[in-house]
Amino acid sequence: MSLLRPKKRTYKKPQLLTPSKLVHQKENTPTSSSLDETEQQIKEILGNNGDLKIKHFKIFGSFSAACVYFSSLVNKDSINKDILRPLMYEPEHLIGKEKPLAQLIDIILTETLYHGEAKVGGCLDDLIEFMLRGETVIIMDGLKEAIHIGTRKVDKRAIAQPETEQVILGPREGFIENIATNVALLRYRLPTPDFQVKTMKIGRLTKSTVAICYLKGIANETVIKEVEKRLSEIDIDAILDVGYLEQFIEDNPFSPFPQTQSTERPDKTVANLIEGRVAILVDGSPFSLLVPVVFNQFYQTTEDYSSRFLMGSFVRLARILALVFSLIFPSLYVSLISFNPELLPTEFAVAVAGGRAGVPYPAVIEVLIIEIAMEILREATVRLPKQVGGALSIVGVLVIGQAAVEAGLSSPITVVVIALTTIGSFATPTYTAAFALRMLRFPIMILAGIFGLYGVMIGIIFIFNHMLSLKSFGVPYMAPVSPSDYQGMKDVVIRSPLWWMPKRPDFLHPANQSRLTEKDNKVLEHNKVGNDQREGTSNGGSEGDHNTSGNNNLN
Amino acid sequence: MGDPKEITTLQATTILISTIIGVGVLPLPLFAVRAGETSAPFVTLTGMFLAAIGLVFITSLGIRHPQKTIITYSQDIIGKWLGRIFSILVIIFFLILTSLTAREFGAVVVTGVLRETPLEVTVIVMLLLASISCRNNINVFAYIHNLYVPMILAPVLIVVAFSLKNANPLYLRPIFFGSDLWNMAGGMLTVAALFQGSFIITMIIPSMKSPKKAIKASFWGILISGGLYLLIVIATVAIFGPEEIKQIFWPTLELARTTAIPGNILQRLDIIFLAVWVLAVFTTLFSSYFFTIHSIKELFRLKDHKVLSYFILPCVFFLAMAPQNILHMYEIIQFIGRIGLLITILYPAVLLLMDFLKSWRRKRNVAKSS
Repeated sequence: MSLLRPKKRTYKKPQLLTPSKLVHQKENTPTSSSLDETEQQIKEILGNNGDLKIKHFKIFGSFSAACVYFSSLVNKDSINKDILRPLMYEPEHLIGKEKPLAQLIDIILTETLYHGEAKVGGCLDDLIEFMLRGETVIIMDGLKEAIHIGTRKVDKRAIAQPETEQVILGPREGFIENIATNVALLRYRLPTPDFQVKTMKIGRLTKSTVAICYLKGIANETVIKEVEKRLSEIDIDAILDVGYLEQFIEDNPFSPFPQTQSTERPDKTVANLIEGRVAILVDGSPFSLLVPVVFNQFYQTTEDYSSRFLMGSFVRLARILALVFSLIFPSLYVSLISFNPELLPTEFAVAVAGGRAGVPYPAVIEVLIIEIAMEILREATVRLPKQVGGALSIVGVLVIGQAAVEAGLSSPITVVVIALTTIGSFATPTYTAAFALRMLRFPIMILAGIFGLYGVMIGIIFIFNHMLSLKSFGVPYMAPVSPSDYQGMKDVVIRSPLWWMPKRPDFLHPANQSRLTEKDNKVLEHNKVGNDQREGTSNGGSEGDHNTSGNNNLN
Repeated sequence: MGDPKEITTLQATTILISTIIGVGVLPLPLFAVRAGETSAPFVTLTGMFLAAIGLVFITSLGIRHPQKTIITYSQDIIGKWLGRIFSILVIIFFLILTSLTAREFGAVVVTGVLRETPLEVTVIVMLLLASISCRNNINVFAYIHNLYVPMILAPVLIVVAFSLKNANPLYLRPIFFGSDLWNMAGGMLTVAALFQGSFIITMIIPSMKSPKKAIKASFWGILISGGLYLLIVIATVAIFGPEEIKQIFWPTLELARTTAIPGNILQRLDIIFLAVWVLAVFTTLFSSYFFTIHSIKELFRLKDHKVLSYFILPCVFFLAMAPQNILHMYEIIQFIGRIGLLITILYPAVLLLMDFLKSWRRKRNVAKSS
């Protein structure tokens, strides 16, 4: 044993880096000047792959070279037209000129190739990595350096409407898996030099590109640094989704509450960037991760802002109510039924008692059974294909709603309560937050079964205290409610009109606070023009119209 | 103290309000009526003034020593050992206050709601909740109070507002001196003892953003909580009358019971009132618990208070179980409350006086030497 131990340790380190040792042996070795030798080395490492293509040709008819690429990753059209043709068919302006071997690379890069992403590289392991990312490498006989050209073409799905966050009013675009497209979606909405995208690679095997996006001058510097620090400390073999990162960078992994927000919507991401948050994108994941977060943003949607403020506020109030329902409604029911039926109006109490007459279990057991059945039903419908899902939900509704009552397993009121709770948890826009409340419902229900309303209160106090003690990247989780922040409070329970919120929420400590211009917004006063109900039409009704259409240069 | 100083004046105010409003809400009208008959509101008012004077003492002490709490600056003012002895007394007093709060809460819950649950269970659940929450730092302590204050004030105001339609102003006359003076003075002390939680300001000041504004926080804190107490006393006395209140243990609960909200949404309000009252008790208990362990930490110069929070739990629990029944408990509460006034008002007063004398002498010395 004692002999084995040191051996194990010495072996562990290189294995941690990457399973393939061959590439590591070749680390930092310069490519050989001989074409055959380089080709041999590449074949040694990648030779088994059927999609590795090595095409020999002669540059300008005289220098022998090889073009190496993975046929599955590249755009073959581009290789044929933009790389091979100009190289093999000597361009007119070069005919007759002297082309020494030493200047060949220079001539190719500056005068021959029709490609924007051509670079020179010297190390074998680098070249191999470029090939694995879809670049084409051109090796020339007699030269130590090689040219690599970005010819990557990987199929991606089209930009589609986000599945999990649909809106009635608002943009229809959602992120896709390709990070370049996702960054493009953000840049297209933020054509400003302040929008910064820092990239890094995380994952020993997947080498996933991770992009940290923020608005310089608005996002808090310490938050950006903290995000970079936490991300750079991650050492894992694979990052397949942004959720992997979330679990490494959140403040309290044992809390049921999400401390980062993931969204599929570019417009939501941009809105959050503008408030001073930092977004993290990962190649291969159609979600962006927003930090720091506070609890109230989990029941906000982009639609609140794109619709008129009365609509937005009303919908938001309904959502908060749904949130409360999904957390405590079943436990309130349990405690009222089993501890304090005297609170209910008499007629209703009689009806409840009548409904429960045939049910053999105490209320808490009854509610727990139906709740668990509901959870199973919900999980089943998520996984099933659409065609079967509909049938399942009908069966589930029939079984739970009708048959369970008739079989004496539960009372009709219980079913109503559970239905309201479930609908309530669907009304919470953020899946992760809804999930936290779904989970926490069960302990409160059990507390309600033991202590009644006292137990419910204890549970709620406990949850609130936990939420108040949470922090997401230095921002208290319950801000702006507590610690209270006047600017932020305008956007918690109701969504105030946009012109009431001239400053960015203070709890994110943005570097720049002003959202609206310093002077009062005059929009509302302009609207009076032509509105004879408000004011005398002394300055001519159509003038206002003229101005707005005159400035209209969308093109 | 590794925590950043970021408690705002608003947060300090809310801490005071929610600490002061606690279990005392329920028996307060009884105490006041016993002492002053129809002039119970007047007794409450004088008690509030007495408490306010004590709060002014402790706040100005805190402002003169903005980095320290009473545990540390008392050692500067009256000497190391004397200061420590008095600090231990303060800690023991707050330990007892914590356990009595828990016990009184348990008594109400067992008589009012959970008749079959053992007293021990309700008390230990509440204490556990407080001790777990005490593991947070003082900023989170402030956030917690800040969040709960509106939820504590709202139900009381609702109950008072809806009950006033049955009020009879005759019950409130004579406003002054409805009983003999000696009795009223005693009642004033009892009512002032309900404000003892305000002592916690000494722990808050060192963590405040601007300690100078502490006096503003104390003013608003005592005004809002005292105003609420006054409202409760006026409402209960005006509705039940002094003679009937003497027959009831918790007149405020009775007030909630007789109130009905229009529309018959809920048949009775008292249970809901009790449920929200749990919050008020929690904040009070949380404050005194936090103050106890924070003071122990300061006294022994420990780095962290987290471990202490479970350490004193059994201690508090056994103290809470000491009274034999409700009557015995209220005797102890009144007794301890009056002793507490010595600690929370007289002790700071003496400290402040000595501090003044000291700085005066120092100034004179400086003047002489120059």
